Amino acid sequence: MDLFFDVLGALFSFDHFVFLIAGILLGLTVGILPGLGGTTALAILLPFVSAFEPTSALALMIGVLAPTTTSDTFPAVLIGVPGTAGSQATVLDGYPMAKRGEAARALSAAFLSSMIGGVWGAIILTFAIVFAKPLILAVGFGEQFLLIVLALIMVGALTGANLVKGLASCLIGLIIGAVGLAQITAEPRLTFGTLYLIEGVPLVVVGMGLFAIPEIVSLLQSKASITEKLQLKGQWLKGFRDVAANWFLVFRCSTIGVIVGALPGLGGTVVDWIAYSHLRQTARDTTNIGKGDIRGVIAPESANNAKEGGALIPTILFGIPGSGNKVLLLGGFLLVGIQPGIEMVTTQLDLTYTIIWSLAIANIIGAAICIVLARPMSRITTVPYFILAPVLIALIFFASYQVGRDWNNFAGLMAFGLLGVIMKSYGWSRPALLIGFFLSSKIELLSYQTSAVYGMSFLWRTGSLILIGITVVTLWLLLKQKMGDETQTSERRQQMAQIRVTLGFLILPVAMTVAVAGLDYRSSLYPLGISAILAVALIVVAFSQIRARSATINGTPLPQNFLMRGVFAQEGDFFPQFKEFANLVLFFLLIVVLGFPIATVIFITTFIGLRSRRHIPLAFGLAIALLSIMWVLASLLTLQYPSGWIATVVDLPWWLSGY
Amino acid sequence: MTLLKSVISCAMGLTLSAGVASAEVDFSGQTITVVVPFGEGGGTSQVFGFFRPFLQEYLPGNPLVQLLNVPGGGSIRGANQFHNTQTPDGTYLLATSTSTIVNQAARNPLVEYDLTAYEPVVLLGAETHWFTSASVIDEPYDFGPILERPLALYALNSPSSADLFHVWTFHTLGITGAKPIPGLSSSAGFQAFLRGELQISSHGTSNYLRQVQPGLESGEFKDLMSFGLIQEDGTVARMPYSPDTPTFPEQYERIHGTALAGDQLEAYRSINAIWNQASKAMFLPTGTPDEIVEVWRDAFRAILEDPDFIAQAAEQLGPTDVIIGEAARGIVASASILSDATITQLNEALAANNFTYRIE
Repeated sequence: MDLFFDVLGALFSFDHFVFLIAGILLGLTVGILPGLGGTTALAILLPFVSAFEPTSALALMIGVLAPTTTSDTFPAVLIGVPGTAGSQATVLDGYPMAKRGEAARALSAAFLSSMIGGVWGAIILTFAIVFAKPLILAVGFGEQFLLIVLALIMVGALTGANLVKGLASCLIGLIIGAVGLAQITAEPRLTFGTLYLIEGVPLVVVGMGLFAIPEIVSLLQSKASITEKLQLKGQWLKGFRDVAANWFLVFRCSTIGVIVGALPGLGGTVVDWIAYSHLRQTARDTTNIGKGDIRGVIAPESANNAKEGGALIPTILFGIPGSGNKVLLLGGFLLVGIQPGIEMVTTQLDLTYTIIWSLAIANIIGAAICIVLARPMSRITTVPYFILAPVLIALIFFASYQVGRDWNNFAGLMAFGLLGVIMKSYGWSRPALLIGFFLSSKIELLSYQTSAVYGMSFLWRTGSLILIGITVVTLWLLLKQKMGDETQTSERRQQMAQIRVTLGFLILPVAMTVAVAGLDYRSSLYPLGISAILAVALIVVAFSQIRARSATINGTPLPQNFLMRGVFAQEGDFFPQFKEFANLVLFFLLIVVLGFPIATVIFITTFIGLRSRRHIPLAFGLAIALLSIMWVLASLLTLQYPSGWIATVVDLPWWLSGY
Repeated sequence: MTLLKSVISCAMGLTLSAGVASAEVDFSGQTITVVVPFGEGGGTSQVFGFFRPFLQEYLPGNPLVQLLNVPGGGSIRGANQFHNTQTPDGTYLLATSTSTIVNQAARNPLVEYDLTAYEPVVLLGAETHWFTSASVIDEPYDFGPILERPLALYALNSPSSADLFHVWTFHTLGITGAKPIPGLSSSAGFQAFLRGELQISSHGTSNYLRQVQPGLESGEFKDLMSFGLIQEDGTVARMPYSPDTPTFPEQYERIHGTALAGDQLEAYRSINAIWNQASKAMFLPTGTPDEIVEVWRDAFRAILEDPDFIAQAAEQLGPTDVIIGEAARGIVASASILSDATITQLNEALAANNFTYRIE
């Protein structure tokens, strides 16, 4: 009971609350922009987290993460583009409703069910965590190893349009994650003798490169504001009544959300689809589902917020994040000194409850803000691309430099940005790569630790058998489902380019193999192993792309056709996006010469001015405002800007040079 | 806290002439930069972040003190940056931890800095404790059953980190069954120990007091030893907060029947300096004028007497051995430059555990 009041006090202390709200506002804003979900928001925030008190930083991070699955409903309903992966299913019924003029009804129903889902998730967690201690003690090296393998397979299989491409994306992440010092023998792998690569590119930089840059670049390339027309009419109360009438559906779907969220890897991307198919299987009248049925909005929305709570279980108990944004959240936890592990349910139980309940409160506040401010907030989606993009670019460069104040991070950001653009346009899974990258060193170490402690006998432990069972059953269900609807033949879009990209990825396993060939077996076994598997996976993908035709016997599709499914999936064209990528390089060169403050003003003003003369004053104002915020941040948090070549020639005041 | 106080008083006794020179040094209006070669959330940032407001109060002229985190390469990047941009005017300092010293001591070719060339301001000590579970031994401090075991697993982060000294410790005690499981931080190692996957675990002072002592009292864990506190006269003492726990030299004598001596004693002293005595340290650049160095040392001496500091230190730092003054120089030297005999011992211990890493 003391614990309860302690946590309550902490939750509603002034500091905690202010930072929570600040985080929520940031999360809501970023969540509205399609593509830029909680992962990007957290990545931008993370470099600054350590400058705050740990408890404030914690509130800020949770605040950012919680409402993104609420506010991402705006673009999903209004323009038919999911704001984050969690609202993909919402589009199916939400967008038709908006076209029918029922946007307000869909939004209010979505916000309310999202909020209830989030709170229900927190309630389940509050009681479940009490039983977590024996669970944690039962999860040894072997179980952790299997849990990671399970997470990787799930993420790979589920986030890619094509199964093998998704798994290959994971493996690419594993190989990139293996760059640096081998932990067992301290031998460098593929570092080219540089200090920077010994520790590897920072996680935050990888996250921003993979997720933020491709979205900005495609925003630039599409040359449009996110949405042109917008209408929000009455009907708010109708949405609430819909939720009340379907309370049992909300209850079932949010329970599904918590459970699925707790399985690492499953959470983020599929929970809305699972809830949606649950609706289709259980609803009595399915004629309208997919054509604008309110239940099609309620089901995925109550699940996708509830899963955030469930996904905290593997993250804070075992340090195994199940989705891209949990990877970054865990990174933030470590920065402020929160170590995942058994302490979280024993000596640090108050902290765990603070996290869970902050999440619930953030959900409630976030949904309330969305409902009250729906009109002005939905206007953010009408900001033209040429204003949004340069500001985001400046922000991302600033944030990535702050990670260790290292110029090399710019190189890392642009390299991973380019990789992100390639992966996005040719249909490779970016979340899978990020999770592979993060878990690579962990899985390598666990494989040694498991074999040192148990040998192969770990496979016969109860926990292992359960995990293997879950993996096999889930995979079987997935394959069955994927094969079931495999009747259409794949379109051969950009066949040659696709094949070239697939084969291009072969550079990675080859380079890694050459680099580690001469090392001690304890440094080389793991990279050689994953290189070999990746090479096989890439060849399988390339083969299906070359063959490009489903195999049939007497008109019946063959089981191996799942290899072909979505093998040509892509999002946008690569080369127009690649051209826009040049803006980033340009900005980088400006920073090198002029230093960050001057470069930012010139970049933002020229960029906007060239596209719309009318907006030049606004552009100037924006650039100055952005800089002022950064100056305030710099003096509050003892940050530094990258200072350019010009500072070595002319004596500039600190606020222009960077120092 | 008794420990903290007792050490301060002897440090104070060493330098009596300090107060005179300090009147000429004034930092008013200046910004002092302390390079911390680790990330913002790390232990070194936390410790010196705790001292920061007190330094602003006690340095003459009340300058602004900022910590500049330059992480990377296991602290090599930040320490190299400090080395290459030193300005010996008292406004630019380097904070270090055990890893910074190990990099130099293990002769890492990427290291450009040289800690022995700088002016040590303060050393903050820590202690390493080993313990096991009740399923391994019945009587606390008894290595007997562990010596007979074919295998006794313990956690090791990386053979090129300070954890290498765990390998030396068990090798020197002659515990042949002790086998390191690599890639585990001390907290991950403790978790595995709780799950029963590892038999021996270790923790530094603060975690030992917080996480291990309750288990020792309930009988779930059994204490083994601490590494030992080197006194000013060179003798090794037990930790004041756990007076029953024998030290490493005591356990060595119990197992081998002879006292730790010769090359092994020298190696023990160096390792103790790296691991414990200079666990966290702060340096001024080479060639900083004596009066500035003394002003800095005096500021730390005054902080340690501050009632607010003492009240908060119990929570924030825990029992800490503090060394200020010229005594620190010898400790830094014996930590940063290892004798050939010590290196041979470390390499032998590595070889005996099938590690390929060697100090060259």
